[in-house]
Amino acid sequence: MRTIHECKLYVVSGENYHPDRGLLEVMEAAIRGGADIVQLRDKASPKRELLRKARAMRELTRRLGTLFIVNDHPDIALAAEADGVHLGQDDLPVASARQMLGPDRLIGVSTHALPQAIAAERAGADYIGAGPVYPTGTKPDRPAATLSYISEAARAVRIPFFAIGGIHPGNAEDVLAAGASRLCAVSAVVGSPDPEEACRRLRGYIDRRQASRPPSPSAAARARLTVNGRAVETPAATLLELAAEYRLADRRVVAERNGEVVPRASWPDVPVREGDRIEFVHFVGGG
Amino acid sequence: MSKLAGDRERYARQMRFAPIGAAGQDRLKDARVLIVGVGALGSSLAEQMARAGAGEIRIVDRDFVEPSNLQRQSLFDEEDAREALPKAVAAAAKLRRINGGIRVTPEVADVTPRNADALLAGMDLALDGTDNAACRLAVSDACFRRGVPLIYGGVTGSAGSSAALVPGETACFRCLLGGEETAESDRNCETAGVIYPAVAFVAALQAAEALKWLTGNRDALRRSWLNADVWRFAVRESRMPAGQDGCPYCGAREAERRALERSLPLSAASGPDSGETRFRGSGADEGGGEAEGRLPMEATVLCGRETVQVATGLARSPREQEGILRASGCRVTAVNAFLARAVTPGGIRLTAFADGRVLVQGEADAQVAIGLCRRYLIGSADPERTDGRGTDRRISREEEGRDSHANDS
Repeated sequence: MRTIHECKLYVVSGENYHPDRGLLEVMEAAIRGGADIVQLRDKASPKRELLRKARAMRELTRRLGTLFIVNDHPDIALAAEADGVHLGQDDLPVASARQMLGPDRLIGVSTHALPQAIAAERAGADYIGAGPVYPTGTKPDRPAATLSYISEAARAVRIPFFAIGGIHPGNAEDVLAAGASRLCAVSAVVGSPDPEEACRRLRGYIDRRQASRPPSPSAAARARLTVNGRAVETPAATLLELAAEYRLADRRVVAERNGEVVPRASWPDVPVREGDRIEFVHFVGGG
Repeated sequence: MSKLAGDRERYARQMRFAPIGAAGQDRLKDARVLIVGVGALGSSLAEQMARAGAGEIRIVDRDFVEPSNLQRQSLFDEEDAREALPKAVAAAAKLRRINGGIRVTPEVADVTPRNADALLAGMDLALDGTDNAACRLAVSDACFRRGVPLIYGGVTGSAGSSAALVPGETACFRCLLGGEETAESDRNCETAGVIYPAVAFVAALQAAEALKWLTGNRDALRRSWLNADVWRFAVRESRMPAGQDGCPYCGAREAERRALERSLPLSAASGPDSGETRFRGSGADEGGGEAEGRLPMEATVLCGRETVQVATGLARSPREQEGILRASGCRVTAVNAFLARAVTPGGIRLTAFADGRVLVQGEADAQVAIGLCRRYLIGSADPERTDGRGTDRRISREEEGRDSHANDS
């Protein structure tokens, strides 16, 4: 099974863009073209219909080895055994969704500015959508967040972020140049007469950009750890840096590494290494 | 004191538990335990120690019983809350009824770096029933200085943690959690709520370790930091780290040095400041412009509960306090041998203890709380003349603190 960290091209469904073709046909073409995570987004169907579609998408994505996310509805995600749910700023808070979905399912959040991105990260989101980069027909009323948000996110956001909003093969290189390493497309793929080819082109830009980008020292040093039971990738070299990443460095928190409590004073000296299991537990002080 | 039955009969079931036996029971009879804070955890801990037959139980607490305590603080009843008895006093009365064969010594006091060492004098073990990090740091520092183990317990919501901090073996509280530079957790029992099953669970974990330590089963001590949640049931243990080199409390070399010093007479102890926010009042809030000659007051904001503790440095009998409160226009709601309670015309509740501490409830600002104490408890009294005694005491206390600090370093 794929992890969210491995995903580079995210395609969101939009059946209104292809009235003459079926949902599964279009999504399958997108996946064959290189989409490695897909989302069922359908604001119009009643829930029963939505569940039917979600189950069909689950079957498809399972067969093709792709992550599958349901927009808005944790209950549908659970019922259809999706890999996770995607939430807008006005949907359920991450914590509530997490309670329903448990620790293992993915939670993604749409963000339109850096504070929302940081908030989502702190709340425990697994990935975020960042945008809209360009004005889009999918969200006509929302002003574009522009490429500068992508650059900010590239610097400040540690969980994977997918640039989204008006992205198509004609502008994908600009978005990648601004700092994105993952793209999300809707109309440019599902509204295309050839979704497979659209994905192949987007994927081509992403892969070329990744290959040409010199491995940054931090990227090379990124360690994959388990923090509070969840797989994460971090540039942190020490426990203190990791705590800072979770904004816990100045909180009364008990940290344990591979089953042993790490005294606070040694956080700056204790390295975090590939495969480490770290737990941060809020100190319980009531009496 | 008359006994219902002989100890053999009273403790028969406990003695029949093989790891304790008659020998363990004898050790318990000679054991002296300090219970720091007798709220929810402390009530349960004290009761378990009393029933087990620990020879002396010293309980220290700064608070008094209120109706909102009764849901989880098992040593108290409605009568205690009506009388607003200090928790240490009410707890001692219950413990004596539970077991007349042990010594119970209540102390109505705040535990600070200044008095923690004196409270620990002669104790074999300290059990943590406090609700704040400042107090835990003070106790941990003193425990590691004296070589007395501290069994930590904490509860919030349905979750709790516990660990044995053992001088010479494990790290101290300060090393585990950081000292004054670390902010208090947002979640404590007042803001987050707490259920009694979580309290009982954690207190049971602490008491089990206490029994092991006191009955000569030290090898059986659980050497882990345990986190548990009784609601979405989960228990998690992690190994405790050893003492930290360079720490003045749990560092190996320091522990060795202290083991030598322990045979020498001890000076009053003082450690680095703790995590609670303390304020020094100058009286400027009243705009009197005469702050210079005034009694210095120290205020401590109690975390998350709209309560400020003000140390007025002015010890007076509750009857005297009552008179002053009435004269200054407060409505007196309770007076007992230990404290006087009153409501100010503005609806703030004042609880004045005989040792000069005042709990100001309904006010979260330290300076305002100090101002209220001045207005309603010192009133028209001229501090320079009538309270010279208090001022002197204050100064001498500070000098004591400085001296011992110098000794320390």
